[in-house]
Amino acid sequence: MRKFPKRRLARTGLLVGAVAVLLSACAEDKPLNTFEPRGPKAEAINNLALWIWPIMGVVFVLVVGGGIGLAIKNRVKPEDYDPDDLPEQVHGNPKLEWTWTAVPALILLAITIPTIVLIWDLEEKNEPGELDVMVIGNQWWWEYRYDIDGDGFFEDADGDGEIYGPNGEGGDLDDVEWPLDIALDDDDLAVPNQLVIPTGEQIDLVITSRDVIHSFWIPRLNGKRDAVPGRMNTWSIESPDVGEYTGWCTEFCGLSHAGMRMSVVALEPDDFAQWLADQSEPADIPSATGGEEEALAANGRALFQALCASCHIVNEDPNDPDGVAFTYAKDFTADELASGAAPDLTNFASRAVFAGATYSQYVEVDPDDDNLLEEVGGDGEGYLDLDGSLRFNDAALKRWIKDAPSQKAMDPDNSLGMPAFPQLSEQDLEALVAYLATLD
Amino acid sequence: MAIIENETLALPSGDDPAVERPLGVFTRPRNQTGLKNWLTTVDHKKIGIMYGSAAMFFLLIGGLAALLIRIQLATPNNTFLSADAYNRIFTMHGTVMVFLVVMPIGAAFANYLMPLQVGARDVAFPRINAFSFWVFLAGGLMLNTSWFLGGGADGGWFNYAPNNGIIYSPSTGIDFWNMGLMIAGIGSLTGAVNLITTVLNMRAPGMTLMRMPVFVWMTLVTQFLLLFAIPVLTVAQVLLLMDRNFGASFFDVKLGADPLLWQHLFWIFGHPEVYLMILPAFGIVSEVIPAFARKPLFGYPFMVFSGIAIGFMGWGVWAHHMFVSGLGPLTVSGFAFATMFIAVPTGVKVLNWLATLWGGRLTLNTAMLFSIGLVTQFTIGGLSGVSHAIAPWDTQQTDTYYIVAHFHYVLFGGALFGFIAGFYFWWPKVFGYKLNEAHGKFNFWGMVLGFNLTFGPMHILGLQGMPRRMYAYDDAMGFNTWNMVATIGSFILAISTLWVLVNAFISYNRWKAAGRPDPGPDPWDARTLEWSVQSPTPEHNFDYTPVVTDLDDFWHRKFVEDENHRLKRVATGAELAQPGNAEGVHLPAPSYWPIVLAFSLPVIGYGVIFTLWLTIPGIVLMMVALFGWALEPADDPDVEGHHDGDDHEPEGSDGDDHELVGASS
Amino acid sequence: MTDLADDPVDAAAEPDAMKEPQEVVAAEAGAHSEHPETSLGLSNMKLAMWLFLGSECLLFGALISTFLLSKARFLSELVVGNPDVIEGLLPAEQVQTMADAGVRGTLSDLPYIFQEMAEVGSVEPIFDIPFTSFSSFVLLMSSLCMVLAHKATVDGDYKNQRIWLGATALLGSIFVGGQIYEFTAFYREGLTFGGSLFGSAFYTLTGFHGIHVTGGILMLVSLLILSFRGKLRSDRAETVELVGLYWHFVDIVWVLIFTIVYLIP
Repeated sequence: MRKFPKRRLARTGLLVGAVAVLLSACAEDKPLNTFEPRGPKAEAINNLALWIWPIMGVVFVLVVGGGIGLAIKNRVKPEDYDPDDLPEQVHGNPKLEWTWTAVPALILLAITIPTIVLIWDLEEKNEPGELDVMVIGNQWWWEYRYDIDGDGFFEDADGDGEIYGPNGEGGDLDDVEWPLDIALDDDDLAVPNQLVIPTGEQIDLVITSRDVIHSFWIPRLNGKRDAVPGRMNTWSIESPDVGEYTGWCTEFCGLSHAGMRMSVVALEPDDFAQWLADQSEPADIPSATGGEEEALAANGRALFQALCASCHIVNEDPNDPDGVAFTYAKDFTADELASGAAPDLTNFASRAVFAGATYSQYVEVDPDDDNLLEEVGGDGEGYLDLDGSLRFNDAALKRWIKDAPSQKAMDPDNSLGMPAFPQLSEQDLEALVAYLATLD
Repeated sequence: MAIIENETLALPSGDDPAVERPLGVFTRPRNQTGLKNWLTTVDHKKIGIMYGSAAMFFLLIGGLAALLIRIQLATPNNTFLSADAYNRIFTMHGTVMVFLVVMPIGAAFANYLMPLQVGARDVAFPRINAFSFWVFLAGGLMLNTSWFLGGGADGGWFNYAPNNGIIYSPSTGIDFWNMGLMIAGIGSLTGAVNLITTVLNMRAPGMTLMRMPVFVWMTLVTQFLLLFAIPVLTVAQVLLLMDRNFGASFFDVKLGADPLLWQHLFWIFGHPEVYLMILPAFGIVSEVIPAFARKPLFGYPFMVFSGIAIGFMGWGVWAHHMFVSGLGPLTVSGFAFATMFIAVPTGVKVLNWLATLWGGRLTLNTAMLFSIGLVTQFTIGGLSGVSHAIAPWDTQQTDTYYIVAHFHYVLFGGALFGFIAGFYFWWPKVFGYKLNEAHGKFNFWGMVLGFNLTFGPMHILGLQGMPRRMYAYDDAMGFNTWNMVATIGSFILAISTLWVLVNAFISYNRWKAAGRPDPGPDPWDARTLEWSVQSPTPEHNFDYTPVVTDLDDFWHRKFVEDENHRLKRVATGAELAQPGNAEGVHLPAPSYWPIVLAFSLPVIGYGVIFTLWLTIPGIVLMMVALFGWALEPADDPDVEGHHDGDDHEPEGSDGDDHELVGASS
Repeated sequence: MTDLADDPVDAAAEPDAMKEPQEVVAAEAGAHSEHPETSLGLSNMKLAMWLFLGSECLLFGALISTFLLSKARFLSELVVGNPDVIEGLLPAEQVQTMADAGVRGTLSDLPYIFQEMAEVGSVEPIFDIPFTSFSSFVLLMSSLCMVLAHKATVDGDYKNQRIWLGATALLGSIFVGGQIYEFTAFYREGLTFGGSLFGSAFYTLTGFHGIHVTGGILMLVSLLILSFRGKLRSDRAETVELVGLYWHFVDIVWVLIFTIVYLIP
């Protein structure tokens, strides 16, 4: 059976293993619950909500209880009904009515003050120089761009302008040159589907979209903010602890709105630095003469070049001795893909999720379950990771490559999403998966 | 006839009516009954009934869509519906329910009751009234033909740009949405002009503004909201139409467009829209509760002014739908502030209803139960509404099921409960028989149970992070239990809501079997003018125009204060009611043109969607109808005893002056 | 088009023999005054027309807002030379040729008028202010004619009534003709409907106004026909007044549009 090249296994294991531990440790049944905030922003919101609840509760009891109570107390049974006997004809009581106009107004005013304070608090950003991430919505996946060269802003692809950072370094966010021309920039790091952040610091986000309006929402870290094409919205998240957080697009964004999810992984700052360094490296080109597995991966790379590279990017080292690195045309047109960008696959295998974070890249296996190991491939070492509990989700990946629209609603005939490749044989799929597994 | 379509219409007596005949292409329809009569009627009561019936038809469509949604969401990762089908169904559910159910039921009540309650014989422009209905129906039917011709709209009822653009939604569903609602909007606009004119201009002598029933007030506010909100939506739709069908680039981000333009236009329309859906129901319960508490509405002026305040403030809160769109903290703070305080007039209303219950002698029949149901359930929706105004918290709530719960508590638990209260209350006035109380109680308790089971859990689901508009959710997300509960509740709700119709059917049969007993003009011993005419309302409404001296005038004719300032009955409603004698009364003639004109518009609409050639016959038909209408006298010169102009009677008139113009035969 | 539906031209006619309009009123309405008694003392038609015009204010308000936003965003992109905005203004074949050659559009590819726009940061260069001022003047004069037509109707001076109604319709038609000329001129200069936000918003806003003027002309022509058939006597002065209300409203909207779209840079 094929294995990961050993030297890569350790690296991939770093993230995937961390995620695996987190998955089991945080195996909670409600990953999107707003009642269980983790980050300081979400906590601030929840704390405000916590003292609104009792007020709402009191009003609820008074009004609903009052309505039901009065109905019961003042009810006249049909047999007791006397059409000529009227209750006291009260027309109103201005004093009382002004009171119950004023009292709710005062209560609402009392709620308004902390509300407005918190509105401004949530907008507070880091001083310039801290890590910023740009979040870009696409139909139907998210891209995260890291300002790794640390110049405080995100470079424009053709180098003739900048997309400013969330602190407003360098200019007004509203002055951004539009449309986003950043798909192939290499000064900053582009990571699809999974946002990785260091713990213990606020990460400022610039949120935008390439196509329609999406909304970025990690309920446990903060509220949501829309990704509006033509606009640069800012927002921030912070995770005090190591953990994995999930999110779901919350602005209806077309056919596969439900297939647009988010995964955020918070790592210790050291691990994060290591992750960042790994992600910045170009992919290795598998050698056609490097043994059975590498040859298979090399076959896969050839298929990738023929079928996938028209949309997906894999950054390779132009000086790699094993082959000629991919080169890419700079532009998509909307005829090919409405959003104008597909996920960058340079570090595909290092992520825990794929397909808009709807599928897990790795699945847990039970090492004691012989049948399962049988399926995975013989001795069970095949795609198993370090601790033997995770394996590459090759079955889902094959289904995805062969017929993506059947796995997640998409409409490739109208340039929306990934097309199916019915022409791929089982061997082709094996080769492609083998190649993708090297991209870690 | 109290029609003032033109001030001087007809021929001086003795002139040969044949002179006029060439002007109309058709001979005027004369049928008093049958299909042709319904198609050509200009009677506000029949139009009101047709509004209600059409809304019930669309309610079945919207309700079926709702059930499909709930079946799909009953279990995780359900494959009952595809993502595409689900998107179209939830879009059509929202659109149909808002534009073709709640709004027209409001229009049904306004049309039927408002002229009666202000003491008018019809609305100001009876033919335009018929046109308003037919054009609403034409737009609604056109929208629904998209089920067969374009697969249904798939952009959500809010239809945000740029997802509504031709690139992201290449099927014709959104074109149907656009054209259908634009056409229906014309009906809302003409209806608003008509009803406002009627309220302001055609009140009976003595019916001052502050003697108008609260329902009339709420109708007036509602129609003003429509008058000013509809054109804003129309502009948004025109921009979309230009973009999708004529290659304009209003929402093309590449060329520098700002997609938030759509959101601003839509919600400047959309928030007043929310209030114009609920205010008629507020008006209805403000009539029902005093009638069955047997005391006047507590704080009438506060009720009126809070309604007006809601109407005004409703224009200043639209951006609370956009708290997460990135408007900046200053804008968000301002709109959060404004949104908070729109709760004040609404709260005043709720407290005044409770105060009306206080010390009352309550008859807890179905109409009253539904009214109390509105008060309590709307309050829940109002409270969650305040929680949305807390903008930071709203960033956790918006576009989750918490919002779905909120607006269903407002629009179903509020508006629809109020409307059903109105059905039970006014049914004998409209159809001449009461709805069965036992079935009514079943109807009510089933709906309360089903409603709260369906939408109550959605509060929890939303705060547990379930976003809206998701066709499927994962097993691991923890949404399973409450979704299943909601689905079960939705079936209880569907059956019990349907029970309104079942009850109407059963009650009708029993009434018929009992020999069609007359419920009497005033079966509830109620307060307003519509109860002073026979049931069902005679076609001419009033034999003579009532003269009003008081708020709740009819009540104060039945009960008079004695020396201890206690009200004592001096007469029953039946004794005071007008006998329903139509002698000497002349009614406006029916006309073909409203329906012809109305149905010329979808022809143009289909032309825009499919082939522009089709617009040519549509426009020709429209112009023919317009000129045919314009040249047709409001009155049929061929009918014997026709008369013209306005017979708005001076105060104290006893109706004899109909002889002047009416009874020339 | 609902405005036309509200048009009270549907009046039945008085017999031609009737010479003295005051007599008609008296004969027809008996004790009723010319304006039937209503709660507000304003005729239903007039109240309805005011309400309709109130609604129209929101319609044009939203369109004008859309125009201002679209124009501003178009200009800011044009000034910085956004290649997508520039290519939008160029013919599709030219853009295709450029794409094949691997180059993006620059300001210098554009017709001169747009380069000038980018230079001065305003859309003003495309406008022919003297021409539009003239057609605005024509439209304003038509309002004057409308007033005179109404006065002539009230006075029972049917010759002048026809002259002034005809003059109003004619001046309105000149205005619409001027607008059509302007549209074709702009189009020839490269301002297409869909190529830019400015084009879309400009044609939609002014086109909507043009449709309103056209509707008004149709109503005026209908009145004229009625007049020639002797069916627009002074007791029907309100019909003329109502059409006049609409016509003045459309004029006032044009004054706004002219100021906002053409004059304010």
